[in-house]
Amino acid sequence: MKREEGRAIPLKIGRKTWIALIGAVILLVFPLFIRSPTFLQFMILILWYAYLTTSWNLVGGFAGVLPLGHAAFAGIGAYISSVLFIHYGLTPWVGMFAGAFLAAIVGVIIGTPTFKLRGAYFALATIAICEALRVILENTQKFLGFDINGARGILLPLKGHSPINYQFLDKRYFYYVILVMLAIIFYITYRIARSKLGYYLMAGGEEKEAAEALGINVAKCKLIAMAISTFFTALGGTFYMQLVHYIYPRGIVSLDLSFEIAFIAIIGGRGTLLGPIVGAVLLVPAAELTRTYLGGSYEGVHLMLYGAVLVAVMVFKPRGLMEPLEAFYRWALGKFSLQPLMQTDRGE
Amino acid sequence: MDIILATIINGILMGGVYGLTAMGLTLIFGVMKVINFAHGSFLMAAMFVTYYLFQLTGIGPYLGLFIIVPLLFAFGYFTQQVLIRPVFKIERDVREPISVLMLTAGLWIFMDAFALALFGAFYKTIKTPYKGSVLHLGDVIVSVSRLYAFLTAVILAILLYLFLKKTRLGKAIRATGQDRDAARLMGINIDRIYNVAFGIGIAIVGVAGAVLMPFYYVHPVVGVVFDIRAFIIVVLGGLGSIPGALLGGIMIGLVESLGAQFMTATWTEGIIYAMFISVLFLKPEGLFGFKAEW
Repeated sequence: MKREEGRAIPLKIGRKTWIALIGAVILLVFPLFIRSPTFLQFMILILWYAYLTTSWNLVGGFAGVLPLGHAAFAGIGAYISSVLFIHYGLTPWVGMFAGAFLAAIVGVIIGTPTFKLRGAYFALATIAICEALRVILENTQKFLGFDINGARGILLPLKGHSPINYQFLDKRYFYYVILVMLAIIFYITYRIARSKLGYYLMAGGEEKEAAEALGINVAKCKLIAMAISTFFTALGGTFYMQLVHYIYPRGIVSLDLSFEIAFIAIIGGRGTLLGPIVGAVLLVPAAELTRTYLGGSYEGVHLMLYGAVLVAVMVFKPRGLMEPLEAFYRWALGKFSLQPLMQTDRGE
Repeated sequence: MDIILATIINGILMGGVYGLTAMGLTLIFGVMKVINFAHGSFLMAAMFVTYYLFQLTGIGPYLGLFIIVPLLFAFGYFTQQVLIRPVFKIERDVREPISVLMLTAGLWIFMDAFALALFGAFYKTIKTPYKGSVLHLGDVIVSVSRLYAFLTAVILAILLYLFLKKTRLGKAIRATGQDRDAARLMGINIDRIYNVAFGIGIAIVGVAGAVLMPFYYVHPVVGVVFDIRAFIIVVLGGLGSIPGALLGGIMIGLVESLGAQFMTATWTEGIIYAMFISVLFLKPEGLFGFKAEW
């Protein structure tokens, strides 16, 4: 979008850039003052969900389809990097890319037939893949000599504080790792949203036939988005494994996690840059609190919150919470600023 | 040999119930072009209604149908009227509105978690007089409650088929499914048709829930098993096809019961997913070549 005329003051940094800079500094500095590992863990979880939903958003938001099995890719990442670490001592820093490439390949394999079909097929196929992977993992003790341990899951051998092996005793390291990962996926999304691919995806998501008539290979664009999305989701899976040291099939390759990822992004605002992050910041703390206070009785009760919020958002604000928040942002600018609404929002 | 025969019969009977749940799903998809992800949760709701109806008043599942079916119909009707319709309105021009998919997915998670909070995670069963009674067909033993359930499924499939083909309302429903804009131009009240179609779909799943209760158990996430089976069945049978749903259901039932004879039961689930994925790859229009009636 063109810059407004008459605002040609050089070296003036835009308001949004300021906000982003201040936010970044706060995010970078505040763990230095935090002593409580519980609180830090809490923050790490929020960032982790924000990371996963931003990855999800690449395909679920921009490509206009509804993937409901992203936990499968997180599971692939976690399992592959851990299995390589346990058997060959390969550091997860390298192993995670093996998992990520495999996840991308699986993602493309699912996408190839289903992107050509109508939306419902894709959603169903992703659910089926996620469930199928869980069943396979639960029933496999050994695969090609690697221990999978079926439903019991894998325990990561601990090496103490060993940065080279992606193991840290202090949670702060994890905090910074996931912060950097989130920054990377955010930047990639930002670039894609402004690239040809992003526009093709948007066009293909909204009006598939029209986009195809213009000569856009919609299915191919969606496949690229799917590959990138699943790749980064798998990296997130490895991160989770390093954080908690233990996974079992139901713990990660579950529909619960898949739905959480999708719902946070949808509630925040599908296809917007900040939507998934806003969704994670709003929902993860609430869900964690529900899980703490109610989850003791039954596993899964915290999902009630996600379901209810999602239904309410769909009925009242189908484009997600980013829309009212942006409206509020503009309103606040107009209210408290001397230059009313000069700056148009670039992008979303 | 008898074991195999008994397994086959059992698979077919269970498959009928799977088909029954899938039928409602396929009807809703055919008309609205929306997969109702909350379908299994409605099944769970119907099973809890059946359970409490029996426990509190002693009305059995089959007599209870007269209460359960209208109740579930109303449940579906108003879910569509209150929740789905406004979302649909926004995406009117889109053939398959994705936000409605999300809405039903949210409903699924909400209903399951809500039931978990309300009823707890325990398995509940009812004890009907014919529970455990069996028929001897030659050497093969058949459970009476499963047989009833299967017969109900077949009768309902025929009734639904006739309803859609012969009655005026059925024709209006099909017309809406074929082209909602053309149907609206013909003077069909689309919103009402959607309400009714969703209501019928949920009422069918209500029947499934009622006839399941005599030989199954209910717990808050019982729907997930049937949900995922139903998704697979509708794709196997061809999205939107009623006979396809019943046949697909029987097929899944057969695979499940026969599979359990030859391998660990948990693996049969894997086979079902493998079947589903290969159908998606090779024959996404469904196995039986039924043209959807829309």
